[in-house]
Amino acid sequence: MADSPAEIKKAVKLYTFIGLTLFIGTIITVAVATVEPLDIHHRGLDWADVTLGLIIASVKAGLVMYFFMHLNHEKPLVYLFYGMAIVMAFFCMFLTGWSKADPIEYGDPTKGDGFYNAGETLPPRR
Amino acid sequence: MEIPFVVNARKDTGLFNSKVAIWLFLASEVTLFGGLFSGYLFLRLYADYPWPERTLPVLPGLLNTFILIGSSVTVVFAWAALKMREWRKFQINMSITLVCAALFMILKSFEYSAKFSHQATRIYSENHSVQDFAILEGHLHKAKIGGDGQLQPAEKGEDGAFYSNRIIFSAQEVSFSLARPVYDGYLEQIIEQSQARGAQFQLAEAFETVTIQEDGTRPTATLIPAGAELSRDSLDNAESYFLHARSQDAKLRTKYLKASFAELRANGNDDPGWKIAESEEYQALQNRNAKLIKQRAYSPPGSITYTSGEKPVTLHFDPDAVVSRSADQIKLRDDTIIKGKMLESPQYLAVDGIDFRFTAQRAEEEGIEPARAIEGSWVLKQPQLKKYWDAHQEWLKALVEKLGNEGKGHVPTENELYRVNWDQMVAYHRAGFEDIYGKAKRGELDKPGWVEGFTGPSHGGQMGQAFPEVKVPREHIGFESTFTPKWNTYYAIYFTITGLHGLHVIGGMIVLGYYLFFGKKMYDSNPEWLANRVEVGGLFWHFVDLVWIFLFPILYLM
Repeated sequence: MADSPAEIKKAVKLYTFIGLTLFIGTIITVAVATVEPLDIHHRGLDWADVTLGLIIASVKAGLVMYFFMHLNHEKPLVYLFYGMAIVMAFFCMFLTGWSKADPIEYGDPTKGDGFYNAGETLPPRR
Repeated sequence: MEIPFVVNARKDTGLFNSKVAIWLFLASEVTLFGGLFSGYLFLRLYADYPWPERTLPVLPGLLNTFILIGSSVTVVFAWAALKMREWRKFQINMSITLVCAALFMILKSFEYSAKFSHQATRIYSENHSVQDFAILEGHLHKAKIGGDGQLQPAEKGEDGAFYSNRIIFSAQEVSFSLARPVYDGYLEQIIEQSQARGAQFQLAEAFETVTIQEDGTRPTATLIPAGAELSRDSLDNAESYFLHARSQDAKLRTKYLKASFAELRANGNDDPGWKIAESEEYQALQNRNAKLIKQRAYSPPGSITYTSGEKPVTLHFDPDAVVSRSADQIKLRDDTIIKGKMLESPQYLAVDGIDFRFTAQRAEEEGIEPARAIEGSWVLKQPQLKKYWDAHQEWLKALVEKLGNEGKGHVPTENELYRVNWDQMVAYHRAGFEDIYGKAKRGELDKPGWVEGFTGPSHGGQMGQAFPEVKVPREHIGFESTFTPKWNTYYAIYFTITGLHGLHVIGGMIVLGYYLFFGKKMYDSNPEWLANRVEVGGLFWHFVDLVWIFLFPILYLM
């Protein structure tokens, strides 16, 4: 980590640059979601907008962690703490997504009761 | 004893003590927020209603993102200033950080209060094969009970006025259950409202207590005389007697039950207890005992009834307080039963949003053309709302043409197809509902921008005139709520995550504020130690920013 005054002065410039990058990232995220000509793929919200939004957010989060939280100067122990927690958080989300792959679905919307098998022909559900 | 690694890092880990602690804490925070984000994902994937995507006003969220990013920069500047031993610079940067945090919370409070006062009503009607499911959004107008005991719209600031979302009932008789506590809030409402109308509820018949004598006689005494005014004290007295009498009756029944068993055992019956309980001899003894119990039991009344006399009293209750209602009776959550006559209990709503997405979804699930289901909606039978829907169809026609000309194969979104948003309502109103198609094609519709609708529709001033007033009869209200967790799972998870995040902001303010206002002494004695502390506090603050970096696009833009 920067410790000498000269190194810290240099780091301050870097922090300013990172801050500006975060501002710009935010503006891009909002622009693609709200300015019609910049909307990518289908009109309105779709998987492309979600993916792009989350990628930009992840990059911004990565910059905050790496530079502002000084992960660039930390030893592997911290990566272990933080990495395990992030894996755990993603595992929770994976479990949620996995539940969608359950072969038995609940509550047939056309009948309003019971079970039905995945793949059974059903009217479109949104 | 000197504690090691308070100021200097351990060589093998590269961490000083508090840094180990904060990283472990942040790891637990990641799993906490990770779980909540998983909850969000689960609710969204399994939502059985149209998810309110891109429904929050973007500008407050965007400003808050800028504010938090800015504060992340200033907090790291504050740390750098301490490292360079520049106390003044530290003070300035930390002060800016705290101001940013306060601004964040102020903006959040504007957003929250807009939601707490914004009403949504799901319409119920069975005029066609799909239940209506249209949703009206808006602000409730105030109403009051007039001299004739009927509900009528009230002027702003008028005495006795309340938001027109009440069950209005002409009450002649109120029965309180003695078997469970009467809720103070409902009792006070009944007493206050009746007094405000110059009436009072009085006990219909004297409430009498019974004393059981050895010879089997049952002399009675009056505990509360007929005509006594409804009060907490009289209810408490009746309830005390009821509980005492019920307890004595229970003891009496147990005594006879034991006596029956003892008698059978004495007669040489050695069967197990369950077999005795099913035997005919036991049943015969119980039948005999039932008569004795009836003679010696208090058998207190389970309720106490007050009447309003000859003239009924109009009472009004929050719909949440009423668990069941019919034309001549309502039941409150504490089992209080009010008899009389149900009065017209409409909502007076200034509508700033018409949403048929749920209608369309349900129609498709039932195999019905959405347009047909929408046509049959109660909403479109209201002329003041229909003109907005008609204008929207004109706008939609222009949009479809525009998209066709672009040749990208784009189609209108479900929001555009089935929802008239508040800013569109304002635009149609400003256009005078004339030539919407032409104006939309020429881009002449004057929709309010982000600044004009900072936290959503404004019902004051000129904009408020664009929101038509509708009287929604109670029988057409399927479900209603403000935009709070009661309304749907979106708002439940929204308030959970943003509320918890807000608490983190407040926690961060306290910690960073402590360093700013009480850190000088430590700075003078051991500046490196203070720098370490600020770094640890800063790590927490960056984490708060990091959570928001994900929250903003997920909640506001997706």
